[in-house]
Amino acid sequence: MGAIGYSLGVIGAALGISLAAYGAMTSMARQPEVQGRLFTVFILASAFIEALALIGFVVTLIS
Amino acid sequence: MNPLDKLPEEMEELVDGFSSTPVVGDLSVGVTQYSYWMFVAIAILLAVIFVFRRRQAEGGLVPEGRFVNGVELLVEFCRDDLCKALLGDTWREHFPFIATMFFFILVNNVVGVIPGCKPGTGCIGTTAALALVSFVYFIVVGVRRKGVVGYLKSLAPAGVSFPMNALVWVIEVFSSFLRLVTLAVRLFCNLFAGHVVLGTFAVLASLFFEPLLEGVSAVAVGQAGASLFWVAILLVIYAVELLVAAIQAYVFTLLSAVYVQLAEADEH
Repeated sequence: MGAIGYSLGVIGAALGISLAAYGAMTSMARQPEVQGRLFTVFILASAFIEALALIGFVVTLIS
Repeated sequence: MNPLDKLPEEMEELVDGFSSTPVVGDLSVGVTQYSYWMFVAIAILLAVIFVFRRRQAEGGLVPEGRFVNGVELLVEFCRDDLCKALLGDTWREHFPFIATMFFFILVNNVVGVIPGCKPGTGCIGTTAALALVSFVYFIVVGVRRKGVVGYLKSLAPAGVSFPMNALVWVIEVFSSFLRLVTLAVRLFCNLFAGHVVLGTFAVLASLFFEPLLEGVSAVAVGQAGASLFWVAILLVIYAVELLVAAIQAYVFTLLSAVYVQLAEADEH
């Protein structure tokens, strides 16, 4: 059960992280000079999204 | 026999291995395996700092050698990308705090990735303490900058009429406390989950190799081949974990810097 719940939860995180990557890539392609600043923001956003998936993982293990 | 039969039992043992067990003393007063490795990480960090200072003083103004250049690269990364980029004019004031956080977490994470070692930051107690330090730091910065009343007022955005203002203020106070939780849980979960995944693939590799040790047969050789595949995945995940160790140190300090910047900002 835990595995099913976790995989359902991970769908959201996967969508979120791919949206962030999509946005970062398209704006880098349009404006290569913002690469440096975008990288920071992208890593930050990914960390926020990834944390949700990881919390799900740990909760699955603990329960 | 199917090697996967033993997996649940081994997994339970693996996850049990991650709970804090005292090395010296007991759980109330003592040193758990996580704090033990944290002390090791601190010793490594101190050694690096002192050797770096000596080499740098010997070398004169131009940094020479891989070691000195490598440490300088990290310090400059911390100064330029974390402090100057986010904090602006007051970066010099906050640089010691940000750099200490960054190097402490980085060394702890990297020590944890070495096989046989545990990360000091892979325990919720350590990360909660780090998050608490960061939380107290940005509040103290905000209070020093604006005064107690000024800081409390600055949590609500200016130019919003009365009833909404109070509501936003309550939400902002709540989200400040949420920062404490998210900082701690993010770092802990990343390290914990990463090590559980590494451990799972190590367990799988050993389970699939066992039949070959008991006797050579076609099935056993096939399973040993599968074991090689698990080891290949393990190596890939190991590389990812090295990356995660650096990125999480970066993210934690970046967020601390962002919170300090928000506390200092005049307009919310």
